[in-house]
Amino acid sequence: MSDLKSQIIEQLNLQEVKPEDIGNDDPLFKTGLGLDSIDALELIVLLQQHYNIRIANPEQGPEIFHSIRTMAEFITAQQKQQA
Amino acid sequence: MNIYINGSGCISPQETAQIGPLFATLREYDQVRLSTVDPDYKQWIDLKQIRRMSRVVKMGVGAANLSMEEAGITMPDAIITGTAYGCLDDTGVFLNKLVSQQEEMLTPTAFIQSTHNTVGGQIALLMGCNAYNNTFVHRGFSFEHGLLDAMMILKEGSAKHVLAGGLDEITNYSHQILSRLGMYKKVAVKTMELLNSPETGTIAGEGAAFFTLSTEKGAHAAAELVGLSTIYKPLWEGEVIGEIVKFLEAHDCELGDIDLLVTGRNGHIDHDEMYEEVAAALFPEHPEACFKHLCGEYPTAMAFGTWMANRMIAEQDVPAAAMFYGQPPTKLKNVLIYNHHQGTHHSMILLRAC
Repeated sequence: MSDLKSQIIEQLNLQEVKPEDIGNDDPLFKTGLGLDSIDALELIVLLQQHYNIRIANPEQGPEIFHSIRTMAEFITAQQKQQA
Repeated sequence: MNIYINGSGCISPQETAQIGPLFATLREYDQVRLSTVDPDYKQWIDLKQIRRMSRVVKMGVGAANLSMEEAGITMPDAIITGTAYGCLDDTGVFLNKLVSQQEEMLTPTAFIQSTHNTVGGQIALLMGCNAYNNTFVHRGFSFEHGLLDAMMILKEGSAKHVLAGGLDEITNYSHQILSRLGMYKKVAVKTMELLNSPETGTIAGEGAAFFTLSTEKGAHAAAELVGLSTIYKPLWEGEVIGEIVKFLEAHDCELGDIDLLVTGRNGHIDHDEMYEEVAAALFPEHPEACFKHLCGEYPTAMAFGTWMANRMIAEQDVPAAAMFYGQPPTKLKNVLIYNHHQGTHHSMILLRAC
């Protein structure tokens, strides 16, 4: 999850945010990191670039991108399927 | 109907964002590429928003805010920007990714931020301004045409306060390309010696200057924007000289009424020839000030020149760093700014103390 936090910080250019500032269960959007719809697109590209994962069903987005933990769980599940 | 400059703001290679006398802390360079001296943009832009902004967007937002702060307004009735290159850095980022990632997995931010009207849009978004918003992309006339639009809107009476400005950035790519085209000097030159360097080429620059214009005189207004004129690709210097005479006549001004001529000399012998001809024909005894040795050459440098002239009128002083010929005038009532970009885009602006 630490690597994922670093990747998000780099991809979204979150200045003055360190990986340890992001809680594993903190909401990524609205109240938590305060990400918006453009960031959601950036996160989709991040999953493709770093993990070769494409989100087949866009309706899953809010669930997958709820927090670092939900993203990490989704990545792990997808990697298991791919293996 | 008079149009007053109620506020102005500038981000440039000089410390123009600071309060204090003009060029009190002069930045002297010994290089062929000048970059802006950036203020702390966080004073105007939220951290969450600043992360997506490239330098030129921050420059524009900063200069726009400085201008409105001076004018004492928080919401203009129109926002007009002029830029030749637009958000060049983000354009480069996006195009690079397009090539390196073989047109796949392209991120949206660089694309969204790479359009020419991003700066005007960001200024409006930050202040929640839904009013008229337009961007002019006309090479060396980008700033001038933006200003012309602002003047027409004010004269129509459809706006009370208009925020208008010009801005451009230089990036590694654009500098390389323009260098190859022979635009810049091959060897570094000291900025204060630029205007006397007998060679071709100039120095690259960048910056943003915004003006809050109104038909009502504000508390900090020092000058009015009397007139603006442009000439595209004049056939010879006589055409420019004739146009300047006609321009002054149209604004009830004689050559002798001009207290200071401000020119866009840039140290390129081929470009400066036109200024020599104009000065010799019309203003042989007039004091002359210059600005491109302070901000560098770029298509909207006229915005910096206009900002500088407005500040000189406000302070009733011409700093030694800007003087090129003659003695600084004791009073500054009428100031004529004449500039051309690469010999093709010629423009003149007349400011008058108010």
